[in-house]
Amino acid sequence: MTKDFNIIGKPTPKIDANIRVTGEAQFGHDIQLPNMLYGAILRTKEPVADIISIDTSKAKQLDGVRCVITADDVDVNNISYRRDHPILKKGQVNCIRDEIAAVAATSKEIAQKALELIEVEYKVREGIFDPFEAIKEDAPQINHFIDGKYPNKNIAEHFHYEHGNLDEEKAKSKFVVSHRFTLPRVTHCCMATSNMTADYSKTDGRLTLYSTTQVPFLYQRDIARALKMEPSKIRIIQVVIGGGFGSKLDMYPYEPICALLSMKCGQPVQLIFSREEEFIASPTRQTMIYDVTAGADENGGFTFRDVKATLDNGAYTSWGATTPFVMMQTFSSLYQCPACRFDSTSVYTNNVYAGSFRGYGNPQATFALERTIDMLADEIGMSKSEIRLKNANFKGEVTKQGLHFITCGHKEALEIVIEKVKESTHPLIPSQEGKHKRYKKGVGYASMLHVGGGAKIYPSDGCGTTLKIDPFGYLTIITGSSEIGQGSETVLAMIASEELGIDISKIKVINTDTDIKPWDVGVHASRTSFVAGNSVLGAVKKLKEKISPKAAQLLKTDIDDLVYENGVIKSIKKSESIELDKVVRAIHFKEPGDLCIDTYFFEPSSEFADKEFKGNVSGAYAFASQSVEVEVDTYTGNVNVLDIHVAQDVGKVLNPLGLAGQIEGGVVMGMGYALLEELVVDKGMILNPNFHNYKLPTSMDVPRIHFYPIETEDSLGPYGAKGVGEAPLIPTAAAIANAVSDAIGVQIDSLPVTPEKVLRALSGNVKF
Amino acid sequence: MTDFDVISPGNVDELLLEIENNQSNNFRFGAGYTDLLLELRKQSGPKINVINLSNLNDPDFSSIVKSEINIRIGSLVTACEIVKNNDINELFPVLHKAANTLASKQIRQVATVGGNICTASPAGDIATALVALEAVCEILSTKNEIRVVPISEFMLGVRKTALKKNEILRSVVIPLRFFASLRMTNDRIISDFIKIGTRKSMECAVVSLAYHILQDDEDKIRYAGIAIGSSAPTIKFTKNAYEFLIGKRIKELNDDDIIEFAKKVLEYASPISDIRGSEWYRKQVLFNISKSIL
Repeated sequence: MTKDFNIIGKPTPKIDANIRVTGEAQFGHDIQLPNMLYGAILRTKEPVADIISIDTSKAKQLDGVRCVITADDVDVNNISYRRDHPILKKGQVNCIRDEIAAVAATSKEIAQKALELIEVEYKVREGIFDPFEAIKEDAPQINHFIDGKYPNKNIAEHFHYEHGNLDEEKAKSKFVVSHRFTLPRVTHCCMATSNMTADYSKTDGRLTLYSTTQVPFLYQRDIARALKMEPSKIRIIQVVIGGGFGSKLDMYPYEPICALLSMKCGQPVQLIFSREEEFIASPTRQTMIYDVTAGADENGGFTFRDVKATLDNGAYTSWGATTPFVMMQTFSSLYQCPACRFDSTSVYTNNVYAGSFRGYGNPQATFALERTIDMLADEIGMSKSEIRLKNANFKGEVTKQGLHFITCGHKEALEIVIEKVKESTHPLIPSQEGKHKRYKKGVGYASMLHVGGGAKIYPSDGCGTTLKIDPFGYLTIITGSSEIGQGSETVLAMIASEELGIDISKIKVINTDTDIKPWDVGVHASRTSFVAGNSVLGAVKKLKEKISPKAAQLLKTDIDDLVYENGVIKSIKKSESIELDKVVRAIHFKEPGDLCIDTYFFEPSSEFADKEFKGNVSGAYAFASQSVEVEVDTYTGNVNVLDIHVAQDVGKVLNPLGLAGQIEGGVVMGMGYALLEELVVDKGMILNPNFHNYKLPTSMDVPRIHFYPIETEDSLGPYGAKGVGEAPLIPTAAAIANAVSDAIGVQIDSLPVTPEKVLRALSGNVKF
Repeated sequence: MTDFDVISPGNVDELLLEIENNQSNNFRFGAGYTDLLLELRKQSGPKINVINLSNLNDPDFSSIVKSEINIRIGSLVTACEIVKNNDINELFPVLHKAANTLASKQIRQVATVGGNICTASPAGDIATALVALEAVCEILSTKNEIRVVPISEFMLGVRKTALKKNEILRSVVIPLRFFASLRMTNDRIISDFIKIGTRKSMECAVVSLAYHILQDDEDKIRYAGIAIGSSAPTIKFTKNAYEFLIGKRIKELNDDDIIEFAKKVLEYASPISDIRGSEWYRKQVLFNISKSIL
């Protein structure tokens, strides 16, 4: 049954768009507090060295310097979920990001000058930059703060998952392929560089942090643990975020450092990364090597997948080490697969460490899996669309890992993108073919599976909402969830507007202050519309239980007879209505008097995975397929992406404008991953910490993106919606790589697919 | 970051006076500032003076003028102004295209011809086109005298030019050559700029090829200005490739001729391997695109 909606499903501009385009939005860089100081961090010059001495005396004497701190000056705990990361390093440094000292001064220039005056004597040691070297028994221990969880001293994290009978399925397989895939180190490239303003009051011992975190409540806890404080004495105020994409999911040393500077000085301190520092010291996507073996039976039905993943953990641990938790879902459950074994090992090296990044390991896994599927298809002699359709997931499927697909648009998504790419492909025009047959075209497909209803990884995956209607009929939504540019404020306002009949211009969303807003686990796992949306719906229901009886009384009718629309409550039977604000005033100002305010907490029905990583961890699952047509210039190796078709199971379209933004942004991010982006490291040094040589796609590089939403109307989502944020990025690199392989007839097994790699592959003299 | 003071002369007299006054100081010229600010930010050292040219009001520095025999382009002309100029678009498509592929549209609004030449980068787009066109640099000294230097002798190495401390690049001149005497139509000109990179905008050439080939009424090649960028420490004019083509007809060239031509272009390439591309890639691509133009 399709219900007519007033605003849900209608293109709605973001409610925070005006302040963003006019420059009124207060980003972290814009914050100015009275008596504010400027912080700066001295990072190591050598990626791997013993620190013989640190002399801060000259820096301390510089006019305008208020404080200089090193590890010896602070009493703090290690950070990261493995507690393996000291905030300030002492005795030795192990990667190029390492923080040695920090300064607070009256101007940015003085703070920089002070850094130059700090003298550090290093004794350079030999580093280990290859995880396969680091895992050898005779390799020296890289991180000295680990708890001995694993017998090998350089293993940071290990995951093992399996289902089905691998041997039996291997025996059944008529076709088997084995291949190694290598994924690069890429970074988020947020337009706003990392920033923090810390304001500590020595009078009451409270710390206010103006932060860009995506997970304010977990962050409050993490900061408290790092600084040995009570969490509730820390107030997190989330500034307008100039790009998140997962980079603000963990807490990094600069944040407690900024707080420490403020605590030492008793004045506010602001710390802002330069662009170069952002490239060097902000997190990356997890780089890794996959060894994949996969099989199919004589009809092209998948039989098994056997996957070994080796992750370069870097010198310390952040969320990158846990991304295999998501990867294993793709290997176990994307397309039907009777048997799967997945082993991942995250190995300490002297490289920079990885955090979380949109897709959380899934773009890497999807690349390896979808490339393998193309190789299998070649082996079998089956078409690349047919093999995917044959093995696609289906509605009602409970995968061997325990994921329950209540709704599933996988097959439909495949059918759409296969059909659409056929319609849009053009033969080479004669002038392009030329006498040297210069250009070659190819088509590639890839799908993806991702959580679409939160992910149960913390004791609560829930979100609280407080709704308040004032006596003038305006609604305030106080939500635990956070806005990081994804459009959640707008979607939540649209949901409330739909249910209460209040115009969206009369709705305010308050979502930035941990002292005010109720719990939410944070922005990740494409969960906000699903979880916070359901939370708003629950709160609306409770609030209506307060308003409707009064309205029914005033209209002299039954509660069931009432409709909320256009700012009024209407009786259908009597064709009479009353303004909502009038009802609110009647509740508020007449005996016995009450507020039109209510609070609701929504906790998704998802469950924790068990010790074998099996269980239905999300409230809903999103599916997407993409098909890509590329043109490869065999003279230069350049890949021109012509058309990308995106079909995605979004459950239900809530805001078509916001959705289009997510799709286009995701696809372009995926294209950058496929063709352009790589943070190049050599012996622990980052060689391209700038936009000149770190090639982010520009607006000129954006291909034609065609989007076909699939509405499966999931019973658990708000109006049937599922998470959409991460999905559009996930299959893009895989689809583009498949298309390039199709065009040039050479297997591609690493990203990015640079012109040079293509030309080398074509010349046949070097392995791709 | 290098700290600096800014001096803004309003006319040529003031400019020459400021250059004279700064002979014992460290100073730099600033015009579009697309490179200079990045450079000053990276460097640390004693304070310098920046002689700001953006307030300079002088047609010799800031206009494009066509005469019977040449086109003169002031050093303060922006990439965008070159792109918009109809004479250049018609007569020297290679220059039009080179200016139009420089960085991004926003940067082209401020980046100047003089800046592109005086930075003396082997990757300079406009500079590569001007080498192919055998343009001549007109240099003004504090004595208010002009000396002329062929552009390929002006750029001596990365960030090294033939400018003396009391000189400034005023303009570049491109001779019209056969346009002045021959009745040239579009099909007589084969002129383009090929820039190899990974992005479609904000790209610094991994390799570039500028070519300007003129044919007479009998289809014989009368001129073949070809220059390669990002292939050697400086932009190279490939004279042997020029001589190979003179007097030949393109439609009569066979595959072996085309390969020989490409090899002659490649003779001038001694590229480095760096983060943007290996020596192997640069040579391979240069060879391939050289073949593609005939």
